[in-house]
Amino acid sequence: MRPRWRKVLSDLVDNIARTILVVSSIAVGVLAVGVIAGAYVIISNDMSAGYAASHPANIEIRMDDFDDDFLNAIQNFEGIANAEGRRVFGMRVRSVGGTQWTMLNIVAVQDFEEIEINQLTAIGETGALGKNEVIVDRDVLDKVDAQVGDVLEFQLSDGTIKRLQLVGTVRDPATNMDDFLAPPAAYITMSTLPALHQPENYNRVYAIVDSGQDDDTHIRAVATALKDKIEKSGHAVHSTWRSKTHEHPLAATVNAILGILMALGVLIVFLSSSLIANTLSALLNQHLRHIGVMKLVGARDRQIFGMYLALILSFSALALLIAVPLGGQGAYALARYTADEMSFSLQGYRIVPIALVIQIAIGLLVPLVAGFVPIINGSRVTVLKAISGNLVQGTGDQAEGGAKRESRLERLQLRFTQMLNRRGIQIPRPLLISLRNTFRRRGRLALTLFTLTMGGAIFISVFNVRVTLHDYINAIGNYFLADVTLDFDRPYRLNEVKQYAAQVPGVVTVEGWAFANAEILYPDGSTADNMSILAPPAESELVSPILVAGRWLHPDDKKKLAVSDAILDLFPDLRVGDNLTLRINRQDEAWQVVGIFKFVGSQRLLAYAPYEYISLDQNLANRAYSYYIVTERHDRPYQEMMAEKVDAFFRDNGFHLREAKPGLSTLDAAVESLDILVAFLLIMALLTATVGSMGLAGTMSMNVLERTREIGIMRAIGAVDREVMRMVIAEGMLIGLISWVLGALLSIPFTYLLATIVSLAVFSTPIEVIFTPTGFIIWMVLVVILSVLASALPARNAARLTIREVLAYE
Amino acid sequence: MSPAPPPSSSNPPLIELREAVKTYVSAAGSFTALKGVSLTVQAGEFLGILGKSGAGKSTLLNMITGVDHLTSGEVIVQTNGRAVSVHELDENDLALWRGRTLGVIFQSFQLLPMLTLVQNVMLPMDLCGLYRPRESRQRALELLEMVELEDHAYKLPTFISGGQQQRVAIARALANDPPVIVADEPTGSLDSVTADNIFDLFERLVETGKTILMVTHDHGLMPRFSRYLRIADGELVTEEANA
Amino acid sequence: MTSQTPPVLPAVEQADAIIQMRGIVKTFKNAAGEFTVLKGIDLTLQRGEFVSIVGKSGSGKSTLLNMLTGIDHPTSGQVVVDNVDIYAMTESERSLWRGRNLGIVFQFFQLLPMLSLLENVMLPMDYVNMYAFDERPQRAMELLELVGLEKQAHKLPLAVSTGQQQSAAIARALSTNAPILVADEPTGNLDSRAAGHIIDLFDELAQRGKTIVMVTHDPSMTRRTSRTIIISDGELVDETIAKALPLLSHRLMRELSRKVEHRTVPPNQTIIQRKQPVDKFFMIASGQVEVVLEGRKADDTIIARLGPGEFFGEIELTRGGKSIASVRVTPEGPVELLALSRDDFNWLMNVSPLTSEAMTRIIQSRLEENRTSDRRKRRRWFR
Repeated sequence: MRPRWRKVLSDLVDNIARTILVVSSIAVGVLAVGVIAGAYVIISNDMSAGYAASHPANIEIRMDDFDDDFLNAIQNFEGIANAEGRRVFGMRVRSVGGTQWTMLNIVAVQDFEEIEINQLTAIGETGALGKNEVIVDRDVLDKVDAQVGDVLEFQLSDGTIKRLQLVGTVRDPATNMDDFLAPPAAYITMSTLPALHQPENYNRVYAIVDSGQDDDTHIRAVATALKDKIEKSGHAVHSTWRSKTHEHPLAATVNAILGILMALGVLIVFLSSSLIANTLSALLNQHLRHIGVMKLVGARDRQIFGMYLALILSFSALALLIAVPLGGQGAYALARYTADEMSFSLQGYRIVPIALVIQIAIGLLVPLVAGFVPIINGSRVTVLKAISGNLVQGTGDQAEGGAKRESRLERLQLRFTQMLNRRGIQIPRPLLISLRNTFRRRGRLALTLFTLTMGGAIFISVFNVRVTLHDYINAIGNYFLADVTLDFDRPYRLNEVKQYAAQVPGVVTVEGWAFANAEILYPDGSTADNMSILAPPAESELVSPILVAGRWLHPDDKKKLAVSDAILDLFPDLRVGDNLTLRINRQDEAWQVVGIFKFVGSQRLLAYAPYEYISLDQNLANRAYSYYIVTERHDRPYQEMMAEKVDAFFRDNGFHLREAKPGLSTLDAAVESLDILVAFLLIMALLTATVGSMGLAGTMSMNVLERTREIGIMRAIGAVDREVMRMVIAEGMLIGLISWVLGALLSIPFTYLLATIVSLAVFSTPIEVIFTPTGFIIWMVLVVILSVLASALPARNAARLTIREVLAYE
Repeated sequence: MSPAPPPSSSNPPLIELREAVKTYVSAAGSFTALKGVSLTVQAGEFLGILGKSGAGKSTLLNMITGVDHLTSGEVIVQTNGRAVSVHELDENDLALWRGRTLGVIFQSFQLLPMLTLVQNVMLPMDLCGLYRPRESRQRALELLEMVELEDHAYKLPTFISGGQQQRVAIARALANDPPVIVADEPTGSLDSVTADNIFDLFERLVETGKTILMVTHDHGLMPRFSRYLRIADGELVTEEANA
Repeated sequence: MTSQTPPVLPAVEQADAIIQMRGIVKTFKNAAGEFTVLKGIDLTLQRGEFVSIVGKSGSGKSTLLNMLTGIDHPTSGQVVVDNVDIYAMTESERSLWRGRNLGIVFQFFQLLPMLSLLENVMLPMDYVNMYAFDERPQRAMELLELVGLEKQAHKLPLAVSTGQQQSAAIARALSTNAPILVADEPTGNLDSRAAGHIIDLFDELAQRGKTIVMVTHDPSMTRRTSRTIIISDGELVDETIAKALPLLSHRLMRELSRKVEHRTVPPNQTIIQRKQPVDKFFMIASGQVEVVLEGRKADDTIIARLGPGEFFGEIELTRGGKSIASVRVTPEGPVELLALSRDDFNWLMNVSPLTSEAMTRIIQSRLEENRTSDRRKRRRWFR
């Protein structure tokens, strides 16, 4: 091998620690981007492909009972390619011997083997579904604590219990994908219905249109026509849902989240590139003497440049060797995790070409860009500087008796110390050394601070975003403040329920609520969307709405309502006081909007109207299906306990109670899915923090290395080990604390940015940002620990140096 | 020792400094390290430059090697029958010129620690492109043989003694077969026996026709140069030829 | 002196000795083999001495200094400074000890570049915690005044000249009021004017009672010191030889050190009897001798008194023949001599032409003096 390439190889191999530092800084960035880019491609392909493969219904209609003949009519309806009927109803389930009831959606299908729409994916050995057998969604197993082969108990509305054999588990990739609050499903055949005291009729239509399956306008037109036909034939339609075949309902959300992760990945690349720049310029600095010698024996700039270019490319190649396979695996793992969470199947492990290209490009370009300036400067250094700079370290380029000028910053520091001195404040010199050392390598300091600050800012922001999201979820909880909700199978009189409820110790108040389903009509009479109208008593204490405009309900409001802000997606110009045309029970009426409030998600159109009016309108005056109970305490365990008690009490007293559930459970699913998101963000934040502290560790060891001689001097004039270590650690901590201050400041805009992006992605609406001291404090502690750790090793090495090693000039 | 060649007026001197001035400027004022030094060196001379530290002798050497730039004056070196104005070359041309024309030796050896001895010797050939890779290895081994280190050719510099390192440095200085060897205190960090051996090596090189410039502060070496000059506070004090 | 540790050296030597080195050997090992830099050094330095250590590069002088400052470990041997065995301490204890007892001045000044001159001078006080915290700036300022740098006190080292940097380094070395100053080529990197200033400063400090040990290879510096110790290839040259025969190369001095024979002669004893053959060359290490032309009764004529660093016997050895005058020890005390055999002396004259020439000159002048004395004496007899 030619000597110069031999030297490059040695530079690569001899200082393993440095090579590892550089290679891992490159690899971190490549890995982060590789994982996310790969996952992005895999998820966005497979999620929609998996969704389409299950033959999702384009139209789902929830209506009153119908039979096979009616289903036939729907199947033959113009524009419909295929339609299936199912019966869906809620029921409480537990394992034999279990105490805890779980609410499930029971889905009855005609022939489990022949499902053509919203196809299910069997998990494990799932055989045929026979009479009095049940197959459950795999989430159910955990909730009811049961295994395939067990027997499940189903509670009927009269309180009796029916047992069904659990014969398998499935995953449903299509149904209710965008409904956070939907309970998990259990599947039975129509023939099992009588056993559960249910009529052998369908109440849902799942239909696929025969063309334009990805054209929402077309689907809506078909849906509207179908609904009209259904209603004209005397059936009541509760609600309709639409979906495109090749677009997963959550695709936009997932992509947006991956987009955020991608942005963070790119940031990590940036941070790691500053780490690379730092390390390379230190490397070049340490190699000045070598460069000087090589130039002395005839090397030209170009040759030196070539050698160090080769070195950088070797770093890149090593990093790619590690990061590319790891990135591919990571991408697939992330995709699999997401697929698992969202019930779709992946098309198998594969290398994503575009992710590969991006990784290689980043792995090669970033180090080149980061190393370009150090290399150019290094290869242009003059022999004199290269050789004298090393031989007479400390006296630098003034070996022959000259003197340099103090820099402006140095003068400032000196003046500041003098000013303090005049006021009688002395900074002990050892501390002064740490302080001034911190600012000696300003380029390096800037890069270190940049990485550490970014890491910190993101870290703090993630905590703020987490609190913001939780706060928002809690704010949604403002619309569900009840501690226990009761759903009956038939309406009961308000007074009756209240009297009974009052007998349960712990119950404070009870409210009866009414509900109505409405269609919002465009001025031309076509349906814009479905909307649920909740009707609490106007004076209800159980709703504390966040009003965007207008007012809340009055008891004497007639045909007036408050709507969620999602309405603005349909009617951007809607103002308080305007009218909306609603179709309720096949009657078109104009309702006045008196208030607009904030609510989660644009797809959740929701309105509130006073119970006083709605109950009259539905001929249910002073009666209600749903009751909301406030208990003495509002924590989750108490709610669960009360739900059990109330449930037992009402059933014992002969009420046809469908379900009593603790209030906060409504939010479980939402909180859970947000926590996954936050966990992702936190992983990215930790990754940036890791890059940051790697940068700090690198900087500190470079600083110590460069100051070896000075440390020797300090020891020669009386500094003990402890003093030397303290000096190095103080510097590290100072850098850490400066970065904390900068990070804390930067976290404010970062929090706004991140919160807005996340909430737009998840809730389709910007949300109010909340700050929490948690992130600031944790990061403070973490950055101090990290900076002590990052400087402890260099400090220990520094303290170990004997003076002779240090002062031995060659 | 070969006698100093009679200065012939027909041949231009190999190295010529004309009124070389070097001034360092700094905040504390300017400092003139060379105060108008003129000197000529003929081919085949073994010239000693003596002076205390700080007298300007290293600066003088740096001017000849082109490592540092003159404030004013001229440095002219005959290279392949052509007069090269060293002070006018840019850094890259200088590097190539120096690599082919001068062998430079330091007090501190300056071998690259990660290269074996033979690779250290090959390095100048690799960088200047005068020899093909295979040829250069052969030549490097011959040079190591000349300095009696062929047995250590594949060791790293840290595994041999200081005197041996300096011999490798000399072999490296000879790699491109330059006409001139420039040595800055080459025996400065060696014990006296080792220093003697190194000096013997230099004398042998002079016999083979190399021109050698050596900076030292050791007056004991004076008699062994073909000619020496003293420099003090940036000026030449005496210039004497040894018989 | 404390007696916690048993006295390592006889009390006589301890009286004023501040630094004692005993049998110091230092061997460096590397893959190339072992290399002994110091080959058993014994050295005692007295309080208040201004000592220069001279030697060529590679002679081991910096290593010797490192032994003295506790910067490096000897392979074997002992260094006792002010009755403290410095290699019995841990590295960290030694740092503290060094800060309090030694002021070190380096060739390249080694001021910390991020601290102003004043802060540099204060630093050792901070490290070893000497003087009240609030007193330190004032003390540092006084020291800077001493070295004439009060106007530069708030500048960074790189903003002042190298001579000024070295002055500040000396002020720093003084800041803990250490009794010993150690300087490694303190003028090695300075021009001659700045170097002169630094030496003046040392001179003044020596007069104020500091013990100063300075490594140098500059003869103009050694002239200013009270004692010169020469080291050559890891061994100390006998100081008497160095003084008596300064023109010898260090290597020859060292060889000679091995050849001489040490003798102590009591007071009044005659070493050389006139008219008797002489076969030794004597150099005086301590005490004095008288060169005497003896009379018949007690009216001897003392033609010269010779002290440390002087020699006798050379005339007889070079010219053959018998002694022309007697040499005897003064009544004040014993004398320590280094004796060299005739063969060795002749060898010496052969290998060192410079010494031989100088010797010839001295012989001539002494003979001249002898002759005049002799004539005077004769004249007296005949009167």
